Amino acid sequence: MTVSPRAIAVAAPIAVGVLVLLAWQAACRLWHIPPYLMPAPTDIGASLAANGPALLHALRSTLAVTMAALAISVAGGVLSAFLLVQSRLIETSLMPYVIIMQVTPIVAIAPLIIILVKATMPALVVCATLIAIFPIISNTLQGLRSVDPGLESFFRMHKASRLQMLLRLRIPSALPMFMAGLRISSGLALVGAVVAEFVAGTGGSSAGLAYEILQSGFQMDIPRMFAALALITVAGLVLYGATAALQRLVLRRWQAQG
Amino acid sequence: MLAPAPTIHLQSVEKVFPNGVRGLAPLDLAVGQGELVSLIGPSGCGKSTLLKLIANLHQPSGGAVRWWGEDFSAIGREGRRLSFVFQDPTLMPWSNVATNVRLPLDLDGVPRAQAEARIMPALRQVGLEHAAKRYPAQLSGGMRMRVSIARALVTRPDLLLMDEPFGALDEFTRNRLDEDMARLCARDGLTTIFVTHSLYEAAFLSSRVIVMAADPGRIHAEYVIDPGMPRDEAFRMSDAFARICRDLTALLSEVSPRRAGEEGL
Repeated sequence: MTVSPRAIAVAAPIAVGVLVLLAWQAACRLWHIPPYLMPAPTDIGASLAANGPALLHALRSTLAVTMAALAISVAGGVLSAFLLVQSRLIETSLMPYVIIMQVTPIVAIAPLIIILVKATMPALVVCATLIAIFPIISNTLQGLRSVDPGLESFFRMHKASRLQMLLRLRIPSALPMFMAGLRISSGLALVGAVVAEFVAGTGGSSAGLAYEILQSGFQMDIPRMFAALALITVAGLVLYGATAALQRLVLRRWQAQG
Repeated sequence: MLAPAPTIHLQSVEKVFPNGVRGLAPLDLAVGQGELVSLIGPSGCGKSTLLKLIANLHQPSGGAVRWWGEDFSAIGREGRRLSFVFQDPTLMPWSNVATNVRLPLDLDGVPRAQAEARIMPALRQVGLEHAAKRYPAQLSGGMRMRVSIARALVTRPDLLLMDEPFGALDEFTRNRLDEDMARLCARDGLTTIFVTHSLYEAAFLSSRVIVMAADPGRIHAEYVIDPGMPRDEAFRMSDAFARICRDLTALLSEVSPRRAGEEGL
């Protein structure tokens, strides 16, 4: 019997995950590790069930920040890339500032952003966007520049207009690189949202998962901390899976097999 | 009988690249209506540069290129069309075969209905009418090249420029495509300039072979082949073909002398 590579790709990581969880559970029980040091997976599951509504509410807040940041990153990143690709002079003049924005640790500038942007939610979105936007800009820019030179010559030979070059050549050529950037940015937007929440220490109705982690730490409720962490991980995986599926859908023609 | 007016006329054309490298020394070349001219020579002899000057993709540093006795604006007027087939198929991977073939018509502003009507005949010419809905990733290397040729033929060109189009293909596919090209060019009276590394390909296809030399790129010799010979498998096996190949080999050896002290394999 032969097993398809696709089935292996799904089953193998699940098997590893199950094994790790079993080993983790066994270690906690065998060595009687107290839950405040290292909770067993069943403790985390119980905490997740007990604190479900609060944690899901926090997840919704974090995801709202993440999705808003991702949407702004896509719109802003693509527009920035189109602006930068217009001329080498524009790119040379502005690219260093894009890089400065990328290399400045968000943790260092988040307090400033939170002071400058009074409302909490927009402040969190700005922080997350600053982290997530760079891969979109750099990948889209590289994509717009990675046009097949032969195809570009073909368009020029047929005296194609700037608009024809953009719509029929540059944008489709940039799509694979843009999609790769989107995949990276989706994860970074979530990271950005959580980091921003940590720095802002946002509580109340807009409290996100980072706040849940902080509160659980203060209260020594370590299973709840792990439960919040697990939700962040699952959210990250779902985002990654969704953008990967979107990438496959959009680029199916590129990889179409006979 | 009057000689046909040259479709392409290069007058003292030279090319010096921005880095100072002299790609082509001043050269003259006239290509008449219906001729199939091959450019062969060692790497760096300026074959592709010459072709790109004729395609107006490069501008000459000196001299002038004339198309039907006029400047490049002659292209597109009075139905005069130029098509270029690149070394790579240069297809749009996001579009199917039919859309790829229709591209030059779209860019030239041909109405959609007229353009659509011309796709299948062009695909039929290269034996790919069954593949119109397929994507480039679903085609073999030879089929992709055929699509590229169909895209060049769909504009019904008067002048076809081909830059080593079959260089990356296996010998069997290359021979078959050469036969197809010879048939198409003869049937439609297409003026074709064909760059190749293969003297066998040049011998098989051409009515005239231009042998070029390097450092700087220049025309070393011209070799005329009777265009009346049918270009088919029998021609490839004939004594005449063997003689042409021998002559071209001799001419090529004149422009690629083994450097002193250079060891063979």
